[in-house]
Amino acid sequence: MMINLYEFTGFIEENFDLVSGVPCSYFKDFLSYLTNQEGVSQLKHLIATREDEAIAIATGAALSKKRALVYMQNSGVGNIGDALTSLVQLYKLPMMILISYRGLIEDIDFPEHSIMGEINNSLLESLNLRYWDLEIENWQKNMKNALTEMKDQSLPVVLMVKQGVLSQ
Amino acid sequence: MKGYEVILKLQEYLGENDLIVSSNGNISREVYHYLPKPQVYLRGSMGLPVGVGLGLAVMNPEKRITVITGDGNLLMGFGSVVTVAYYKPNNLKILILDNSQYFTTGGQQTVSSAINYSKFLDSLNIMNFQSLEASPSTVNDSLDNFFNTKGLAILHYTIEEGKKELSNIPWHPTKIADKFLHRFG
Repeated sequence: MMINLYEFTGFIEENFDLVSGVPCSYFKDFLSYLTNQEGVSQLKHLIATREDEAIAIATGAALSKKRALVYMQNSGVGNIGDALTSLVQLYKLPMMILISYRGLIEDIDFPEHSIMGEINNSLLESLNLRYWDLEIENWQKNMKNALTEMKDQSLPVVLMVKQGVLSQ
Repeated sequence: MKGYEVILKLQEYLGENDLIVSSNGNISREVYHYLPKPQVYLRGSMGLPVGVGLGLAVMNPEKRITVITGDGNLLMGFGSVVTVAYYKPNNLKILILDNSQYFTTGGQQTVSSAINYSKFLDSLNIMNFQSLEASPSTVNDSLDNFFNTKGLAILHYTIEEGKKELSNIPWHPTKIADKFLHRFG
């Protein structure tokens, strides 16, 4: 059983003003839910052309004391190195990044993800990013821990999202 | 006209309700020295000023946001122009200063001259766009139109190369962020 999207999206709405990102099939149900909420919810959702653009949009929000959530595949981590090191981390801006964990055993038939899957954690560590697993049973605790770190340090934090957590 | 001469002209248009995002290198330096402070002076993150401006614009509909970018920077994040055209925030202005060069790094040529900016901007269905050479005879009318017409606007100037020797921005980026954040209470 995946995370209850009603509860998850409610949590996002309570804690964030803006969402931006580049999709992954691991987020499919979550993103459909978010799209259906448009107009009902106060949350702004902007679809980005690249992962670093999503980070830039989130930066604009953070620079005006608004809270932003970004989502992307871990392939996109390869695209955000400069956005993190010469912008978000340099200017010390808080934001949360949901990253789908591609390249694990269930992606055995998708070699395009295999190398990034192997280096995922060491890459996040090289980028000085604190990260947590988003666990189906403990997601609220994971999110709260990450939010606390994000606010205390005024820095970006990451939640890794495995298959079946935010989409069937 | 040179880029810094255009930036000096902006003094006449900017008030307390204006937020500026300036792209890296000389443009950020000129904006720091010539225009009201504090603003978002980007030091790195090539390709990202338009995205930063878009985030500011959608989160602050009561403010007017102006992004000032060079052509090299614009090309590196070219998709952002399309994102902006899609969402059309009516409080966002994008000023492109195009010398067809990576001027800050020594004047290496960019590929910007391959674009017909009038046709390109027209294809985005933006109400307010213009592409022209910046000169003393055109700059007043085009800036009037750019700033005083409500809605998303993109103004592309071809400019002459050249800069004034200005000192580096003395604020560390954390100070830039702190000072800018203070504008939001």
